[in-house]
Amino acid sequence: MFLNEDFVRRIGKNKMAMAGLCMVAFLFCVALFENELAPYPPDRIDTSNILAPPTYQHLLGTDVLGRDVLSRIIHGAGVSLSVGFVAVGISTLLGVMLGALSGYYGGALDKAVMRFVDVMLCFPSFFLILAVIAFIGPSIWNIMIVIGITSWMGVARLVRAEFLSIRERDYVQAAISQGASDARIIFLHILPNAMAPILVAATLGIASAVLIESGLSFLGIGVQPPDPSWGNMLTEGKDNIEIAWWLSLFPGMAILITVMGYNMLGEGIRDSLDPRLRR
Amino acid sequence: MPLKKSLILLTMTLLALAQGCNEQSTQTSPSSEVTPAVASRNSAAVDDKPAYGDMLINGSIGDASVLLPVLASDSSSGEINGLIYNGLVKYDKDINLVGELAEKWDVSEDKLKIRFFLKKGVKWHDGKPFTAKDVEYTYKIYVDPKTPTAYSTDFLKVTEFKVLDDYTVEAVYDKPYAPALGSWGQGMLPSHLLEGEDITKSPLKRHPIGTGPYKFKDWVTGEKITVDSFHDYFEGRPYIDRVMTRIIPDLATMFLELKALSIDQMGLTPLQYVRQTNTKWFKDNFNKYKYLGFGYSYLGYNLQDWKFKDKRVRQALTMAIDRESIVQGVLLGLGAVTDSPYKPDTYWYDQNVKKFPYDPEKAKQMLAEAGWKETNDEGVLLKDGKPFEFTIITNHGNDIRKNAAIIIQRDLKKVGIKVHIRVIEWAAFLKNFINKRNFEACLLGWGIGIDPSQIDIWNSKKTGESELNFINYQNPEVDRLLDLGASTYDRQERKKYYDKFQEIIAEDQPYTFLFVQYALPIINSRFHGIEPAPVGIGYNFTKWYVPKRLQKYTIQP
Repeated sequence: MFLNEDFVRRIGKNKMAMAGLCMVAFLFCVALFENELAPYPPDRIDTSNILAPPTYQHLLGTDVLGRDVLSRIIHGAGVSLSVGFVAVGISTLLGVMLGALSGYYGGALDKAVMRFVDVMLCFPSFFLILAVIAFIGPSIWNIMIVIGITSWMGVARLVRAEFLSIRERDYVQAAISQGASDARIIFLHILPNAMAPILVAATLGIASAVLIESGLSFLGIGVQPPDPSWGNMLTEGKDNIEIAWWLSLFPGMAILITVMGYNMLGEGIRDSLDPRLRR
Repeated sequence: MPLKKSLILLTMTLLALAQGCNEQSTQTSPSSEVTPAVASRNSAAVDDKPAYGDMLINGSIGDASVLLPVLASDSSSGEINGLIYNGLVKYDKDINLVGELAEKWDVSEDKLKIRFFLKKGVKWHDGKPFTAKDVEYTYKIYVDPKTPTAYSTDFLKVTEFKVLDDYTVEAVYDKPYAPALGSWGQGMLPSHLLEGEDITKSPLKRHPIGTGPYKFKDWVTGEKITVDSFHDYFEGRPYIDRVMTRIIPDLATMFLELKALSIDQMGLTPLQYVRQTNTKWFKDNFNKYKYLGFGYSYLGYNLQDWKFKDKRVRQALTMAIDRESIVQGVLLGLGAVTDSPYKPDTYWYDQNVKKFPYDPEKAKQMLAEAGWKETNDEGVLLKDGKPFEFTIITNHGNDIRKNAAIIIQRDLKKVGIKVHIRVIEWAAFLKNFINKRNFEACLLGWGIGIDPSQIDIWNSKKTGESELNFINYQNPEVDRLLDLGASTYDRQERKKYYDKFQEIIAEDQPYTFLFVQYALPIINSRFHGIEPAPVGIGYNFTKWYVPKRLQKYTIQP
């Protein structure tokens, strides 16, 4: 298993990973305690106080309907994180399944799966997602699913590569010679030893899923009003950027912190696992 | 191998992009024949008399679709067509019908015949004279079932059309039809270019020829449309030599262009009007105008939906919505709450129409009377175990509508109704939702015509696919009143029918009428001669001018 003491010790020393972890943990806390942290309900409209700059009452100002920007950013965290996790969950599941089959059995199946991966990679994924969403209609669930089923290819390739190499190890060969079933070999012998790169890919995948969700919402086909989403907030901010900078700056920073946090964590984990970087 | 291929593909796209950029830059750079004149604002000779010259650059959100008035139904095309074509009649600044291409007209005693006497000496942009043949062709193309037009209704009432001589035509109706006269304001088409052609394939769709004050120059799709003044225009050469309409699909970007002085005119959003244009610089360089627009926004209920069948429910919904707060919060006060399908400051508006002021307590009470008494654990009202929950759909790209929907959602939540909002791109919105009647409630707007006839929207029979009574409103009394109104010429008598019609609509509340917005045009202050009137500001466009010393562009045709 990769989650041994050595790994924990090394990742503890990796400053980048720790900084990323802190950001991610912070976001989790925010999303978990959104109702306690947000000073106002996110959909509380106050038409007598629209586009108010940051003050004590509204720490990050208010938007075009007088809603508190801070509260909306806090509630948007939950939306972003759930999109990230569910989408990556789907893509990892798909990727691991197809990659494992392909790498373990090889032959014609392997060829077929890998050509399918090539085909999928040919589409620019953002435009593929746009087209699919335009067809099935925007909703937070559709977005999660569509992001999930358009981003599994990287994981599939990784898993296949791991399987190809681990399959030839002595302990796997021993299991095969003892007549262990394929399922047992895949799930008990190979998969646990291929977890490390999957974890890294998943962490980085969350970052890109959050970005795609923001992008879709920015274009108006993501999360629908009145649910707050950072991308939605940015769209509103863009139209009023000259008179209300706080509408664009703060949601933008929220996206930045999230994406950076996951990327740093992912890269940190990768570095700590890489034997070549061992000192 | 796959890698190599994708590399080639990539370079090809890059190349294509680079070419695209080049093309664009040559198009956007000021063309050689238009050069900014040397500024001479401080020259000694101050002479602000009307002068020919200069160019007005207009900002438009959308591109035109087709420059033939018979085929175009979008406002972007309509604005350009208004400069290129004329009708037989038009409305003047006080909303009275006056002749345009018609010198005068006679309406027979029984109101069944209208005879138009055409102006002589009117020329098409290609120099050919305008005659009765053109009117006849225009009439025929509107009533031709093969013509895909949205405006055939009025012309189909004509039972016989006669050309009496080169400059006299007569339209015969089988019963009096009050909107008839106004309907001849549709743009007249040149028969010598269109006769015998398939109008849907005519080159005039993109290179129109009209009789109007401006003649078409060029159209770069998605970028700009240019028209030049027509020196032989029958009402005299317009002062402004060129009008360029630049297509800028985003209002914030358009506003930046305005600030950079690269466009001269645009319609402001309420926020821009209130918060962004009150600086000294803006006051020095621009004039702002404000008048109640010809259109209203409404929340329409699909009356085939079981939840909306009871009129008490619809009245309660109207009372539960704080429309005043929508006007204050979304329009920043630049609008008015309305209760009728007519413009509040016009003759046809019934001042005594029943109003449903904001009263959530009464609304709750009325909902209870209609059977919505119990609530579930979310606080949503129940009837026969089913929750009061519905989706409001509206079109993408209109923040005012979207924000109004959000306020409605909040207000209805307070009385125990759960509302979802769905914002849909315009083409899909019409095709998949409105035309298919696939909605519960829709937030939309209607333009208000000058003639009060609204048969297309309210008649019980206009409920077919793509027809305008898409909420399926059916009331035989309304049908009768609208028919009576359309066949009555006398204004006072006619108003009685429409007043009664407004009372019934108010009682039935098939829509919750929301608000009328102010039109908020802003125009560079070098343009003189603009005189706001009840009809707006565009009516005397040919008389707008820039004094010689302020002219910015020199046009060499």
